[in-house]
Amino acid sequence: MTEMIVKPKRLHGVGTRAANRSAGSRRSVFLLVIVAMLLTIGLGAMLSASSVISIQSTDAQFDLFTKQVMWVGLGLAALVITSFVPYQMWRKFALPIYTLVIVGLVVTLVIGDTRGGATRWIVLGPATNPITIQFAEFAKFATLSLLAAVLTKKGALLRDIRHFVVPVVAILGTVSLLLLAQPDFGGILLIVIPAFVMLAASRVPLRFVLALAGLGAMTMTVLAVSADYREERLRGFLAPFDNALGSGLQAVQSMVALGTGGMFGVGLGQSRARWSWLPNAHTDFIFAIIGEETGFAGAISVVLLFALIAVVGVSIAYRAPDMYGRLLAIGIVAWLSIQALINIGGVVAVLPITGVPLPFISAGGNAMLAGLAAVGVLVNISRASDRAPRAENRS
Amino acid sequence: MVRFLSATSLFGPFLANVRDGRGMSAHIWKRGDFRLLLVGLVFILAWGGIGYRLFDLQGNQALANAEIGFDQRIKTRSIDPPRGTIYDRDGVELAMTIDGFNIVVDPMLLDDPAHAASVLAPFSSKSYEELAAEFEKGQATGHRYAEIAMRVDTQTRDIVKAAVEDAGIKGVFYRDQPLRVYPAGSVAAQVIGLTRFDDNSGIEGLERTFNSELEGRPGRMIVEVSGRGRTIPQGEVLIEESVAGSDVVTTIDREIQFAAEQALRKAIQKTSAIAGSIVVLLPETGEVVAMASWPGVDLNARSDVSPEVLRNRAVAEVYEPGSTLKMVTIAAALEEGIVTSKTPIDTPRSVTIGEFEYEDHGRNPEWMSVEDVLSRSSNVGTIEIQRRLGNEKHYEYLLAFGLGQPSGIDVAGERHGTLDPTQAWTLTSGSSIAIGYAVGATALQMAAVYATIANDGVWTEPYLVSEIIKPNGDRIRTTPRTRRVLSPETAAEMRRLLHRVVETESGTGRRAMMEDYTAGGKTGTSQKFDVDSGAYSDDTIASFIGMAPFDDPRVVVVVVLDSPRGTHPDGADLSLGGASAAPVFAEIAQIALHQLGVAPDRD
Repeated sequence: MTEMIVKPKRLHGVGTRAANRSAGSRRSVFLLVIVAMLLTIGLGAMLSASSVISIQSTDAQFDLFTKQVMWVGLGLAALVITSFVPYQMWRKFALPIYTLVIVGLVVTLVIGDTRGGATRWIVLGPATNPITIQFAEFAKFATLSLLAAVLTKKGALLRDIRHFVVPVVAILGTVSLLLLAQPDFGGILLIVIPAFVMLAASRVPLRFVLALAGLGAMTMTVLAVSADYREERLRGFLAPFDNALGSGLQAVQSMVALGTGGMFGVGLGQSRARWSWLPNAHTDFIFAIIGEETGFAGAISVVLLFALIAVVGVSIAYRAPDMYGRLLAIGIVAWLSIQALINIGGVVAVLPITGVPLPFISAGGNAMLAGLAAVGVLVNISRASDRAPRAENRS
Repeated sequence: MVRFLSATSLFGPFLANVRDGRGMSAHIWKRGDFRLLLVGLVFILAWGGIGYRLFDLQGNQALANAEIGFDQRIKTRSIDPPRGTIYDRDGVELAMTIDGFNIVVDPMLLDDPAHAASVLAPFSSKSYEELAAEFEKGQATGHRYAEIAMRVDTQTRDIVKAAVEDAGIKGVFYRDQPLRVYPAGSVAAQVIGLTRFDDNSGIEGLERTFNSELEGRPGRMIVEVSGRGRTIPQGEVLIEESVAGSDVVTTIDREIQFAAEQALRKAIQKTSAIAGSIVVLLPETGEVVAMASWPGVDLNARSDVSPEVLRNRAVAEVYEPGSTLKMVTIAAALEEGIVTSKTPIDTPRSVTIGEFEYEDHGRNPEWMSVEDVLSRSSNVGTIEIQRRLGNEKHYEYLLAFGLGQPSGIDVAGERHGTLDPTQAWTLTSGSSIAIGYAVGATALQMAAVYATIANDGVWTEPYLVSEIIKPNGDRIRTTPRTRRVLSPETAAEMRRLLHRVVETESGTGRRAMMEDYTAGGKTGTSQKFDVDSGAYSDDTIASFIGMAPFDDPRVVVVVVLDSPRGTHPDGADLSLGGASAAPVFAEIAQIALHQLGVAPDRD
């Protein structure tokens, strides 16, 4: 650790290309350290939050936890691989990968497992220890990669609204419709919003982006109030304490957990909310458990780590060797940041509850795998900026 | 770590552009770069907002919200202490609490409801089909509770547990459920009583009378519970220890009690009586060593228990004592010096008082001595003695002997009997009461009356509980009330008179004679009053009250049979106390005296 601290500082002062080369790897090391810290916090919180559920459902107390450790291991392996795969590969295969995910989403609708009214999972393997595949988690990367590739290719043509609207609507519309069919409202948000962030960071005229964003926001609002359960969630969000046992239950219990934690928390493994008070304590609401056990001190640290991911991610995008790398990087960063914002925003009751997991922390194998693989892609883009001079031709 | 968070490392990339000479104009203000930085700024602002909200929730609003959580988690649970034990006089358990279990299932935790049902059905009162249906319904509706076997002992629990573990079934729970058991079964059942099924509180007998002593004081535990209402491991807030129940030591002698119940059952069978009761009392102390009632019940067979079989007839059943009460009339007259044992009394066949004609059974001489009036049980003679005694004096002695008032016995369900004050007496009351009618008493009250004679004229309050042993070992001993009713001389003379009832040729109580001990006593036969028809019926209450050995009595035994019928092989009418109840006295008194270690006083 000390060596890592000293080296960049010394080289940075020289101000040569060597400094640039190291700057990329320094940023990627920084990114990896942040992710490693989040993973550690996440496993700790998982151990506490899931132990109660494991006690109540099976005899093996650490069952959920060991599964999560396994997924973290798989995710890290994927991260190592993607960090060595030249990111231009993703551009080359963007369309086939997107097509594959679309097919996967269609198959999910046909043969998928329906739980709680949503058809999101394909279950494989033996019934005792099944593996579930959630294509929506991989659709995020695939869609953002294809969008980045198209925007890069179109280049200056994007100033023509037809060249802009047709591909963007086609790419986002297809995947959104398939997710809506599941339904997975959170999944749509996590593709569409990062996509707009990517558009905002591209050369597309800002008025196009804003117009499309306005249209999208209207559609989302209509969707949000069209389905009963979404409307319920909205009402629980607007007046949680009036519906403390119904739609406001999670928001109220989440705020109770955070309040119980106070500034410094009730101590590791001491959470009360996990004892059947806070639903989904080990998945969507794990941040509340962190806030309860480690207090504001621990919770704000997690917030800070996610903010740092945004900063480091934007700087990686900024230094990316080409336009595709820049757009893909900002897309990934936007995806991870917005997912974290939506999740934590729901926990602290400033956003409606959407049911999206907290990246690197919540239980859930597919999200963990997709998120860590995406970090690997960011690492690769970051390291590429050391090898190539900063690209002037961004097309 | 500090270095990592320094401005240079965070914003180095942006600053580097400036430093390495490509400059601001070249990059930063290009449209794309500006937008990229704007995106970064938006994210930082968003996280800043979240951080502010977090501070608000965990700082400013923390206490209020934490309180909501505290309120919803806090529950007060009571800790039930172990219930005390009821012992007989030798320290043998009559009622005790043992570990027990309720075996229940959470259907939601079952992997295979059908398999679980097949494994559990043999231990359950429910059939395989019922269990399987209940499990599946539970899984479908989320009802997480199904009863398999309730109130089983440790041994059964272990057997079920082994079977469950062998079969690898999850979701079976064994909840503590203390069990009240009665090792003596039906012995002294009506005296011991019973506890309620669900909370083990006493509802009959000593279990009820001494409930507050036996159950102790429940403790309180303030705990934090889960959303499902279970206590959570780390959430214990406060404990107020419970105080264990006290033990109750009774005066019951299991051997004598058992003998009394056996003798009572035999007598009931022989005489076709519908009910009966027996009291065995130690006259010197007031201790009740046996108190038996028929019909009876095995307390462990809960399904057989009904109010009828739990009725402690010796204290709950009021009857007209009949001739046994003549003893009081005569003892009062002797004590008051109105007559002596030898005073001759005219005994015509009948005497008419008001509109009522009283007559004697069988053939009696025209006059007889007071002692013969008692041994021949002459109604006419006793009425004459009562006339000489007078109502006021008579009533005084009835009260002194404890009639018409609670005996003070320490068991639930005692009735007082009936004895009107003299102001309410009619023309015939004195005569009727003199021979044991128009007055109601319990078998126990009558035992105390005769114990007064046995105890040299001192009435002693009968009792069933000799001491209460507190959890800390402190013992509270019972001291009964006493009062002198007769002089020792009168009492001794009465014992001689009662001995004559048993021992003389013409005595009505000859069947009370024992092989090993002398005895004194009095027979009683009263017509049963039929409430429905408002008249006396042919059915009788046949009784015998006696003491032995007669000159220094160690036991008093009361035998009461309700509606005995039939004829003894030797021709005696079994509806009479002398024929049906007296032999029962002899049987029990002999066993009791041997059990008490009294030396035989007859060759």
